[in-house]
This record gives sequence, C-alpha cells and structure tokens, in this order.
Amino acid sequence: MSWRLLAVLALLLGGCSGAEDREGIYLQRFFGECGAVYGRTTDVAKVEGECGIITTLINKFNEENPRTPVSQNVVAWPGYPQLTAQVAARDPPDVVTMHSGVISDYAAKGLLEPVEPLLREAGIDPASFTPASLRAVTIGGRIYGLPWDTHGGLFHINLALFRKAGLMRGGKPVLPRSADELLAHARQFKARTGKPYLIQSLVGDPAYQTRNLYTYLMAHDAVIFPDADHVRLNTPEARKIMNFFRRINVERLGTLDQDTPAAIATFMNGEGGIYPTGTWMIGQFEQEAKTPGRPLHDSYAVYPYPRLWGRDAVFVSGHVWVVPTRQRTARQRAALARFFRFMAAHNFDWVRTGHLPAFKAILGSTQFNALAHRPEIAPLAIFGQPLPGYVQRQSAIEGLIGEEMAAAVNGQKPVERALRDAERRVNQLLAEVD
Amino acid sequence: MAVDARRARLSPIAFAAVLIGAAIMVAPLIWTILLSIKSNAELVGNSAAALSGPYTLENYQAIFGNALTTRWLINSAIVSLGTTAGVLILCSLAGYGFARLDFPLRKTLFVLVLAGLAIPGEAVVLPRHQLFAQLQLHNSYAGLILPGLVTPFGVFFMTQYFRAIPKEYDEAALLDGASRLSIFWNVLLPLTVPAQSTLAVFTFLASWNDYWWPLISATRSDMYTLTVGLAASQMNYAQTSGLGFLMAQAVFASVPIFIVYLVFQKQIVRAMAGNAIR
Repeated sequence: MSWRLLAVLALLLGGCSGAEDREGIYLQRFFGECGAVYGRTTDVAKVEGECGIITTLINKFNEENPRTPVSQNVVAWPGYPQLTAQVAARDPPDVVTMHSGVISDYAAKGLLEPVEPLLREAGIDPASFTPASLRAVTIGGRIYGLPWDTHGGLFHINLALFRKAGLMRGGKPVLPRSADELLAHARQFKARTGKPYLIQSLVGDPAYQTRNLYTYLMAHDAVIFPDADHVRLNTPEARKIMNFFRRINVERLGTLDQDTPAAIATFMNGEGGIYPTGTWMIGQFEQEAKTPGRPLHDSYAVYPYPRLWGRDAVFVSGHVWVVPTRQRTARQRAALARFFRFMAAHNFDWVRTGHLPAFKAILGSTQFNALAHRPEIAPLAIFGQPLPGYVQRQSAIEGLIGEEMAAAVNGQKPVERALRDAERRVNQLLAEVD
Repeated sequence: MAVDARRARLSPIAFAAVLIGAAIMVAPLIWTILLSIKSNAELVGNSAAALSGPYTLENYQAIFGNALTTRWLINSAIVSLGTTAGVLILCSLAGYGFARLDFPLRKTLFVLVLAGLAIPGEAVVLPRHQLFAQLQLHNSYAGLILPGLVTPFGVFFMTQYFRAIPKEYDEAALLDGASRLSIFWNVLLPLTVPAQSTLAVFTFLASWNDYWWPLISATRSDMYTLTVGLAASQMNYAQTSGLGFLMAQAVFASVPIFIVYLVFQKQIVRAMAGNAIR
C-alpha cells in the first residue's frame, strides 16, 4: 500500500516546474482572449474591438520582431489579483496593462519601474503625451508607464428622442449649461417623450456614481484629496452635486434600479435620452447607429459631460503599459523599448475602439478626427483629470464613495450623512495604507 | 416498486405543486441553454430573443476555436481527479487512524483537525501563496492539487464512518493474523465505499468549480483551469455584448459536472439526505 501512496505523491510532485527561462517579452493583459478569431491576423486596419485590435497588434509585433517575441498571458479582468500574486512569487511579467488609477498602489511599494530610460531608448518624448495621459502616468515627478489611452465619462445621446422632446438645434442636441437647465430639459423631455431623460446604472456600479461626483467636484476646482491620507467630501460643493442627482431621482427624471447591462440595453432600445457612461461604449453604440431598424439608427451622438458648474472638467482614467520591477538583461530592456516604440506608433489603431489617444499628434491628426464623434470628444484628452498620483487604493475608494452616493441618491440616507460616512470610511482606509 | 408506491400517494394538488417547483428550478437552466445558442448580436438589447429562433452553435464554436480550451479542460480534469484521489487516500488513512488506532495525542490531534473546519480558506491564502512561491510550486499541477488535499471535513467524515463499523471485523481479522494495514486495506476499506463515493463526488465538484486558488496560483494561461481560462476569455461588458458566449461558457463548464451528477446521483442524494454516515 505505502509504495502506491508514494507513487501517487511522486506523480503529483512530478508536475512541479520552476521559474521558466524566458526569451523575449512576457506580456500580461486584460481585454479578453480572442485568439480563435484573430490568432493569426496581422492586418490591424481590418480588425475591430479591443480584443481583436490588441491581439492583432501583438501578432504584428511578433512578425516584425521574431528574435524577441511577445508571449502573452490573458487574465480575467482586471487581473490585479494575479499580478499581485506574481509579484509576491517574485515572478511578475515584463509588461502589464494597468488602469492609471492603480499605478500608485504598486509604484508606492517600488513594484513598478519608472520608465523614462525605456522611453528614451524608444525615442518617445513624454512631452508628446496628451495632458490627460501625462497626468495619468506621472507620480512624484516620475513616469510609471507608457500611456495607451484616456477614457472617461461621456453623454451618449439618443437624437431621435431629443428631436421628439424639442431639444435639437441646428441638427445638434441642446445640452444644458447649468444644473437647473438640465432639470428643466429633463422635465420637458419626460413630458414630451414619456421616457426618462437620464439612463443611470445605479445598482452595483459604484464607478458610475463616483465618476459623476469626481467630475463635478473637479468642475468646482474642489480639492478632493488634499493629501495622501485624507479625502474632502463633506463640502458645500459635494452636497450641491448630490442634491442635484437626488432631485433627478425624486422627480423620476432618470431610470432607477438598473445595473450596467440593463442601462446599456435601455439606451440601445431607445428607452431614454442620455446614458452617461464611458468612451468604451462608443464602438457598440455606433454599431447600433449603423444598423437599420434599430432604435439608435442614425440617431446617436456623444459629447463630454456638459459644464453644469464652474469650468470644463471630466474625471478620466487610462490604460497604461507598466513595467513591474525585476532583474532584466540589457537585451530584455532593448526588447521592451522596441515594444514601447511599436505600441506608440500604433496608438491610432487602438483608439478606433473609442478610447482617446495618448499622444497629441494623433489627437490633432486628420485620420483621428475623421473617425465618428472623435472631434466632439477629443477635448477630454486635454481637460480630462485623473486623481492625484499620490492617492492610493483608488479602486477601493471608488467602491466606498459609490456605495454611499447610491444610498444618497436613492433616498436611503440623507445626502449630508452619506457624504460624512463616505469621508469617514475613505479616511479610515487611507489611514491603513502603508 | 417502492418509488411507485410513494408517487401514488401524491394528491393531484401536491403533484402540481411539485411540478411547478421543478419547473421553477429548471427554468434558469433552460434559459441559460437558450441564450447560449443565440448569436450575441441578436441578444444585444433584447435577451428575450432567446425565446425564438434561429438558433446557432457559433458560441460553442468560439469556445472550441480557442486553442487553449482543450488544455484548460485537461488541466481541470487532472486537478480535480488528482485532488479527489489524494483526498480519498489521505482521509481514509487518517479516518482509520483516528477511529481505530491508539496513539499518543490522538484526541488532541483530532480536535486540531476539527478546528480546521472553522478556518476559512481565505484566512490562509496569503501564507499559503508565499509558501508555494518559496517551493516554486506555482504554475504546476502540484501547486493546484496540494491545497485541496487538506480537508478537515473529509477526515472527520471518514473517521465517523470507520467508527460506525463494528470492531468485531478487526478482531476477527487479527485472530487470522492480519496486519493493521491488511485489515485496513482488505477488510475495512471495501466497507467504506459508500462514504468514499460521497466524499469523492463532493471533492470533485468543489475542485472543478474552484476559482480563487487557481486564479492566483496558475498565472500562466497554459496552466489555467477551465474556470479561470473561461473567465479570462471574457471581454469587458460580456453581459451585454457577449451574452450568448458567456452562457455557452457556463453550459460548457457545467457539462462535466452534469455527467458526474448523472453517474453518482445516488451517492449525492444519499449524502444530501444525511444517510451516508451510519
């Protein structure tokens, strides 16, 4: 019996493998796996969608750089549990996709390399980044990645319903210029169409709430995070903003009780006027706009959040290529620099997904502005504002604030109490950060 | 015959209630299957399109079109079967030891094992990950299987089962000159087959469905299990733009479990009814 037991254990342990010797670049990314469709494609101009474009770009890089191929690991979105596990096991990838708001968590612990030397070797000048992208990758004066795009909130608009509501002028939708005007438009819209003016994903989508609050606090020039350890939310500006969103719900001017998929379906089925969501939905909504018979057919437009208070401002994030800290040979560094140069040169291909470019040159190019809706949304790449680089745990903070904001706008908590609770909970979290 | 007799006792109202209950329970499964055989484009904006044709297998083709899917399936099978085999061996040996052998600190050790039932897996995930990193066991079958072998419930379950077997069996075998190992292997182990099957089914199901540990231990796509691989294949907002594909993945991942259930349904029902220990 015992020899059989030992044989089984030996068999199990026989599967052990140590750290693998690598050639080339080991890349880790989200955006899904679509090798079945695009596994051998290298003509990126013929490909659509985030997954297709990124897969094809990597295929193309491998075709052009056979000596330093990229082997890619596709992770379940967003992939940070795996990355953290890899870092803990001292086997992080060479280059990783990361949201700009997460960089501070890793950079503060020395887990990411500042990439100025790689950018220099790749011939990329950080001054060529758009202002929003440069802000997104800069922490404490150092640059922690190659920015890949900027994404943020937009007003996606159903023009057919706007026309019915009498909110079109010169073929363009009339967007409000103040909070009071938005409420007036919304009442008019509802009275004439019988449908909600705003489509809101208020359930299980803390990002939606937080995006709105950050955006309009930034419009007020409010200092949301005065330092790395504190948030400032219980302010007159925040109360004004939250009372405004509460008013929308009290008057039933927006949808209630919808999560993100429900809100997306509501907009695509022509059941509401405006869906405030991100750049990432442009491709899908544009597809609907091109499909005869669909409610959005020839009836779709998209604009940055209107200025309801103060100045133009939108809270943005971005996808970034970051380089985890680890020992690397000169050859591996050269390969990484080549990868950066390649990706920077193909940034236009990526922004066909709906995201905004990371480079000023593309933002101003005829090619980019010829894409649907891009001239309208391009300003986001200029005035888009991420949170300050010193703020850690941005994702967790988003969850806490979003939860309290949802309670406030749904009437489960008074606005002031929700803001006070959000401030207390975020400060508590920040106090626990190393 | 006994089953027929029980059925005959059901009044029409009770039968209708059972039928309605069954329909309610099976409805999500049918809904999932219907969604999985509709094109994603048709489901965008209106998931009720699943109630009418045309139907397609394109979502399943997409799953098999991924070169790694078969690998993930094999990985899941190796890990689940390996874990199940390991658990059966270890828990049987431990159960026999605790139930039949007298050794120092036996009761204390048994209490320690039982205390393991109260410790959630999440509480030990960090030290375990660090330990496996030091042993260079991540991205290996051993790394995926070994944590699953630690099952206090399995030890407790087998111990109780061995205790319920009359000691006269051991005594008779001892009189015949059998060794302890021989008694375990030739006399008692065959008597524990019902408990072994129950434990095997639950271990296999838990291992097949496990997501968290494979997610952080298998960080290379060729070592993913099916649950992790299918999750990695999804694009953002799959619930909206890839609903059919998402449901096809769910159905695909459930098929082996479904087969296991069909084969071992007697043991599962017995375990659920609490009849496995006697």
